[in-house]
This record gives sequence, C-alpha cells and structure tokens, in this order.
Amino acid sequence: MTQNLPIPLSDLQPGDQGEVVQVQAQGPIRQRLLEMGFIRGVRLRVEKLAPLGDPMELVIKGYHLSLRRDESACILVHRVA
Amino acid sequence: MSLTIALAGNPNCGKTTLFNALTGARHHVGNWPGVTVERRSGSFEQDGLTLEVVDLPGTYSLAARSADERVAAQFLASPEVELVLNVLDASNLERNLYLSTQLLELGKPVAFVLNMVDDAENRGIHIDVAALETLLGGPVIPTVGNREQGIPELKTLLAAMARGESNRCRRITVDYGHDIEGELAKLETEICRDEKLEAAMPPRWLALQLLENSAEAKRRVAESHASEAISAQLAKSFAFLEPHLGADGATLIAERRYGFAHGLVKEVASAADERKTPTARLDALLTHRWLGIPIFLGILALVYSLSFVIGKIPQDWIAEGFKALSDFAGARLPAGELTSLLVDGVIPGVSAVIVFVPVIMILMGCIAFLEDTGYMARAAFIMDRLMHVMGLHGKSFIPLIMGSGCNVPAIQAARTIESPQDRLITILVTPLVSCSARLQVFIVIAGTFFTPFKAALAIIGMHFLGLGLAVLMGRMLRSALFSGPSSPFVMELPPYRLPVLKATLIHMWEKGSVFLTRAGTTIFAGATLIWFLSRYPGIANREWTAQYQDQRQAVQALNLSAGETEDRLKALELAHESRIVNTSLAARLGQKASPLLQPILDPDHKRPEAWKDVIALTAGFVAKEIVVSTMAVIHQASDEPKVGERLSPLQVALRDNSGLSPLTALAFMVFTLIYTPCLGTIAMIRREAGSWGWAGFTIAYGLALGWGLAWITVVAGRALGFA
Repeated sequence: MTQNLPIPLSDLQPGDQGEVVQVQAQGPIRQRLLEMGFIRGVRLRVEKLAPLGDPMELVIKGYHLSLRRDESACILVHRVA
Repeated sequence: MSLTIALAGNPNCGKTTLFNALTGARHHVGNWPGVTVERRSGSFEQDGLTLEVVDLPGTYSLAARSADERVAAQFLASPEVELVLNVLDASNLERNLYLSTQLLELGKPVAFVLNMVDDAENRGIHIDVAALETLLGGPVIPTVGNREQGIPELKTLLAAMARGESNRCRRITVDYGHDIEGELAKLETEICRDEKLEAAMPPRWLALQLLENSAEAKRRVAESHASEAISAQLAKSFAFLEPHLGADGATLIAERRYGFAHGLVKEVASAADERKTPTARLDALLTHRWLGIPIFLGILALVYSLSFVIGKIPQDWIAEGFKALSDFAGARLPAGELTSLLVDGVIPGVSAVIVFVPVIMILMGCIAFLEDTGYMARAAFIMDRLMHVMGLHGKSFIPLIMGSGCNVPAIQAARTIESPQDRLITILVTPLVSCSARLQVFIVIAGTFFTPFKAALAIIGMHFLGLGLAVLMGRMLRSALFSGPSSPFVMELPPYRLPVLKATLIHMWEKGSVFLTRAGTTIFAGATLIWFLSRYPGIANREWTAQYQDQRQAVQALNLSAGETEDRLKALELAHESRIVNTSLAARLGQKASPLLQPILDPDHKRPEAWKDVIALTAGFVAKEIVVSTMAVIHQASDEPKVGERLSPLQVALRDNSGLSPLTALAFMVFTLIYTPCLGTIAMIRREAGSWGWAGFTIAYGLALGWGLAWITVVAGRALGFA
C-alpha cells in the first residue's frame, strides 16, 4: 500500500485499484455506501465508465456496482499499485 | 395449523424464483398498506401443514430508509412472522451476509437458503454447507431455484421447523467488540424502561439502529415515555465511542458486520477463479464505450415493435370484435336508452379496458425479461448521464420511450425504478409523452389544415414538444416536490442470468390481471359516465326515437341497392346521434365551458361552434382516439375518407364549417397533447402513485399547462403574422 494522500474515488481511472479510506458522504447516502461494502481497508477496482462518461462501474467485495460521480467523489481511497 | 414465513434477501438473489418454486402458481399480488411496494404472498402444503410465504421486497439492509426497507423491517418485526427464510446468493456471499447479520438480531428463527450454488461452482466457489450452518446458527439448504433443486428438502425443513421439531437454530449475533457491546447493553437497559418499546422489537436491535443514527429508530424512541433517558444514554455512547474508536457509530457497526461476514466467508468458501466470467465478456460488448448505446437503442426498438406493432394485432382483433358485437346488438335491439347504454356505453367501455391487455402483457413480459437477465441495470447504467441531466434516473428512460406507444403500460414500467422519488416523477411526466392514440387526432387535424409536409412537421413537432415538456416538468417537479439532493445512484450490476420462462409468464399474467381488476373498474366507470353525459337527455326522447325509426323504415321501403341503403341508413344514424349529442348534458357543459377555452380555440370570437370542440375534448378523457369519433358524430360527418379522396367528410366539415384556422388548429393539437391523460392512464397513475391525489394533480397540471401552451401558440402565432 502506498502512503500518499487519499484521493476521491472519482479520480481513479478504469483499471485502477484502490483501498477505501473513508466515506465522506452524509445522511442516507453514507449509510447506503457503508452497507454496500465501502468499509475502511476494502479493496476495489474501477472497471469502466459508462459510454457517456458517468456513472462508473467498479468491483468491490466480488460484485459489480455502479456509482455516479456525485457519489464516488465522496469516497476517499488510496491508489494501490 | 398454519405458519407465516417471511422470505428476505438482497435484490438479484433469486428470491422471487424461489418463491415461485415454493408456492407454485398459487399466490396473491397486491400492495403493502400505504405504499406502492408490491406484496406477494402464497402458500404451500407440506406434511399436512399449510405454510404461508410472504415475499419481501429485495433489500440490502433493514435500515428502513427506503419504502422497500421500511416495509421489510416492519413486517419482519411484526408478530405475524414466525420464521424468517433468508435467501443468499452463493456466488456473492459476503455482501448477502450483511443483511443476515441484521436478520439474526430480530430474535426469530432464521433458516438460510444458499441459492444458485451452480453459478458459484462455475466460478470455482465451493461452500462448506455444514460449516456455514454452524457459524450462522441455523439450517442451510443449498438450492438452484430456477431448476427447483433443493426445493423438496427446503419444504421438509420448513415443515419440521413449523412443528418445532428442528432444533438446529441457535441464537448467533455479531460480536461488536467490547466497547460497542458495552454501550449496547447500557442502551438496552434504558430501552427496557418502556415495556411497549421492549415488546415491539428486541431491545438490542433497536439499540443497534440508534447507534447507527437511524432516523426511523429515533422517531420510535421519541414517541416513548423513556425517550429522554434513551437519548441521554445515546449521546453519552456517541461521546464515548467516536473518539475512542475513531469513527462514528454507523461506520463502526457496518465494519463489524462486514468483519463477521468476511471472516465467515473465508472460513467456509473457497475464493472465486480469477478468469473472466461470461458476464464480464458480455459486458465488454453490452456496455462498450461506442457499441453500448447503439445496442441499447436496438434492444429498445425491438421491445417497442414487439409491444406496439405485434401487440397491435390482437389489440385490433379485440377492438374489431367489440365493434362487431356492438353493431350486432345495435342492429338487433330496438333503439332506446337501454340499447344505447349497452351499445355506446357498456360494450365500448369493456372494450376500452380489454384493449390494453395485450400491450401491457407483452411490454411487461419484455421488461421482466430484461430485468431478470440483468440487462435493465446496464440500460440504466448507459442512459443515466442523460437522464440525470433531466432530473431523472437512468431507469426512467424506458418508461418515457414506451410512453410514445401507450402511456398506460409505460407508467406500469416505472415499477423498475427503485427510488420512490424518481419513480413518482417519472409517473407524473410520462403522460406528456405523445402516445399513438393522440397521433390519430393529430393526423386528422393536421391533415385537414396543413399541407402534407407541414402536417408531418406539426405531428413530429408534437412528439418533441411532449418529450421536451416531460424533461422540463421532471426538473421542475424534482425541485418543487423534493428539496433535497436527488436520490443516490448506487446500483448493483448483477451477473447476467437466463430468466425462467415460467417466471416471465407468471409476471405477464399478474400484470394483465392486476390491470383488469384495479384499473379496469375505473376505466369502465369513467366510460359509462361520459356515455351518460353525452347521451342524456336526448336518448330518452321518445319522439326522436320514433322519428328515427320512421326515417329508417322509409329508406328501407325505397328498395334501393344494398350499398345505397346502407349509406343512407348510416347517414340517418349519424344525424340521429348528432342530434342527441349536440343537445346532451355534455353539450350544455361545453357551451358553459367554452368561454374558458375561447382564448385558445376562438380568439376572434368568430366561432359560434367552438363548444363542439369542448364536447370532443371531454370525450377524450376516456381515450384520446375517441376525440376523432366524437367529432364525427358532432359534425355529422364520417371520419372514413371516401375512395379516391384525400380528406374524409369529417375533415372537409372541419375545414369548411368548424371555423378553425390553421393557427387555432395547431393550438387545438397542443391542447390535446397535454390537457389530460386518458382514463386508462389516470387509473394507472392512481394505482402506481398510490393515491387519487397524484392522479388529480396530473389532470390539473395537464389542463393548466395545456391551456397555457395553447394560448402561447395562438398569441405567438398571431404576433408572427399567422392566422
């Protein structure tokens, strides 16, 4: 794991991997993201962006999930090489 | 003796397939009280016991934020539920177990189904069922729901549990660690001060929800007499945990639950193969950067033609069949009120209901197919950016497009949208999309007043106007009704699966029968009311009826050729009906109401007959295509063109006698596009939005918006020099 500063998940490119640091969203979105597995230390991989550039598809805990930029920008991750 | 089993699980875990396999075709579909969340229940018999199964909406959690989750959480906590059956997707065990950690807190016996074990095996995931049983503290049955594997074993187990013969349930809950458990215990003590609160659900479960900062749990506590003590303890717990463990309660609890699930999966299951799954290979094509959209549009075109081109064939049969029936009855029965009620009221009313069924069944079948394969989520993924700009959800795209065929099934199709806000907005704006029935009105009017080229432009313009308004209203309604940010788009892209034909057929049947029973009565009642308004008092005038009969006999006595006789009789019938309709209650209403429409349909006060438009538009409440047939009656001119002529007699009459100008005709088209949804749509809005209020709102805003835009059309047109 790299020790650089955490970046928003929305900054990762397709093919990049990351490790969740923190969910910054508040309210119901926060709870939903936690339930879907965005827990400290969980590995994820960005699969692709939708044809129009948003939302993004990622793999977390072995399943595929899509998130809008609005949501992925609230999740801080460490890029994993 | 009977026992109620609640079927709980994540979306896409094969719960509904399992429900169908357990209960066969014997089930009942309705809504949960107060919400438009589908409630399916059914039963099966095993070893002399009747076991009731209630299929809960698929949820990822019981946090009770969405309507789906609230319904599930409330029902699971109710004393009615004696046994919980948790369906787990074997190939996605860890995330599925998150819900299980909550179900285990409910204090009820939980049995587990490890579903789709074949998929898991194919991905190289082998699960040790015995070890899973031990760790979950409840019986686990592996199944393949779509091939009915494991169903007999499951039934046997459920019956044994119902008789209390199975002692395989031990109470297991997640260990949240020393600090959290300590705070939970303190909260429980405070909760137990209120016996009612204690009885409603396990205190530990309520305490957990409080630590998670659940608004629903706080509301519950606020109603209690112990609320002050509980809130004080909660504040203390937060103050202790957050600095101590470095995160808020919601994060800590979710972490511990996932910790439990992760540890369990590591213990009982082997890791999945790294090789590419069939889903990944399909997605490389179906959500491809360049090919994704064309493929989606192709699939959409296919669904559209299946529903509205193929579906039109049985629809035409039904319409023609009822027309023949009504002609037959009309010819055999003596002219009079009862005959008219039957011929012009009841038969067309029943026809207006049944005519929707083929389209509804085909479109719902297609949508169920897309949903069950997993493609629907991809469609939403592909279109979300565009729809998000419009204030809607990716899944709103399909209803809006299908609306251009018919609004009724389009509104039903909005069921696929999970977020209630997005769904409501989609339902409310879909009626603005011009449907094929409105097209018939546009063709008649535009064909009368414009050259063929301009007519085509005007008709296409109406379709774009409808779509544009849907987008605009979507944005406005979003900001007016829901002040907060739009609902989060956190959507699973489930693996592709081959749907079970039986499930699709059951689904089609359900949608068709629900429409007939729920919406059908509204449509039928409305059609009869419009019949009454447009036929009375003339239909009861015996003198007119006698005159009509005499005229018919006179024509028949002339011994003309068969064709000539028929033409003359038709003309007589039209004249008779015209006399009745033009003196009816609807006509009086039209005359009273015409000043309201005068600025748009008669801006120069030169059309003494503008009230006739009002009758036609009133009849259009039943179904838009009726606007044309009503005009034919009012203007006493057939809407079928004679051989070799471009315009039908109705169109000639409209052009020469109605006083409409091209500009007011255009305003009429704009008004027809927007003014109100047809009865079928209104009935469907009521059903899908869950209240008459929203149906009324749709009519009201349609009338206001339609009037406003038609008025702008007239004013702007005149300013630009058009007449």
